[in-house]
Amino acid sequence: MTPMRAMVIDDSRAMRMILKRIVTKLNFEAIEAGDGKEALDLLADMTEVPELALIDWNMPNMNGLEFVTKVRADPRLREMTLVMVTTESEQSQIVRALAAGAHEYVIKPFTEGAMIEKLALLGLVPTGANS
Amino acid sequence: MSVEVDVDESDLAEMVEQVWESYLDPEGVSPLMQNYDHDQPTEVHSSVSITGAWNGHVVYASSRAAAQRAAAAFLAMEIDEVSEEDISDTLGELANIVGGNVKAMLPPGSQLSLPQVVLAPESTARYPSAERISGIYGTWEGEPVSISMWHASAETKEEGA
Repeated sequence: MTPMRAMVIDDSRAMRMILKRIVTKLNFEAIEAGDGKEALDLLADMTEVPELALIDWNMPNMNGLEFVTKVRADPRLREMTLVMVTTESEQSQIVRALAAGAHEYVIKPFTEGAMIEKLALLGLVPTGANS
Repeated sequence: MSVEVDVDESDLAEMVEQVWESYLDPEGVSPLMQNYDHDQPTEVHSSVSITGAWNGHVVYASSRAAAQRAAAAFLAMEIDEVSEEDISDTLGELANIVGGNVKAMLPPGSQLSLPQVVLAPESTARYPSAERISGIYGTWEGEPVSISMWHASAETKEEGA
């Protein structure tokens, strides 16, 4: 069976490592990108779209909100579950991200357990994967 | 115009506690121990600038040993495997996380810069006309760590920001 795949999009390598550890623990194959543009370039070359993207907001070249907007405008990518993972915790920013098409919003700092709970709510945690 | 802010030391302490719980000390065995020493020496620092309704900087500073330990915890590696790039990246993310949470407590409309990291001691010369208004000062496993807020006038921005 082909493993589910998750894009981890953050300009911080340290944060990508943390997120990669979590999704790998949940049996996802992780794909890293340093900003929204790099993520879109990677997606353009993929024949199969990843099931999940974890997206930082503040990134150089293309920020997370722009990435979400572009993904939602592309019918080929519409099945991707988009989760913003960011320090932007103002209510207005959360509303903007959700209105643009993000499914969930996780505010940094987060614990591993909190992230897994969010993904479980989205139906992306196979039974027993996080035990 | 810049407004007064209500982010005090207890707010900063709560954010710092969350950062330690999430990334640096998830087992809860080595928290940051406050010593209230504003003048403790540090060797590396990172910062983010906030502009808009409030103008200033959030600065994370520590000894190099504490920075190495932070990078090792973030990246799940041994301390002797940590590179300069690992330290730089981790310090930047720590400033970004604390700065982003500080921004959330400010009036709407403020902007957060990308983090800047300097692997050299914190210096007031980097924040011209800025005044330190709040901070958490302590030790982590015996090494100095501080997180501070600096208020700048609206016309003043960090050099090179």
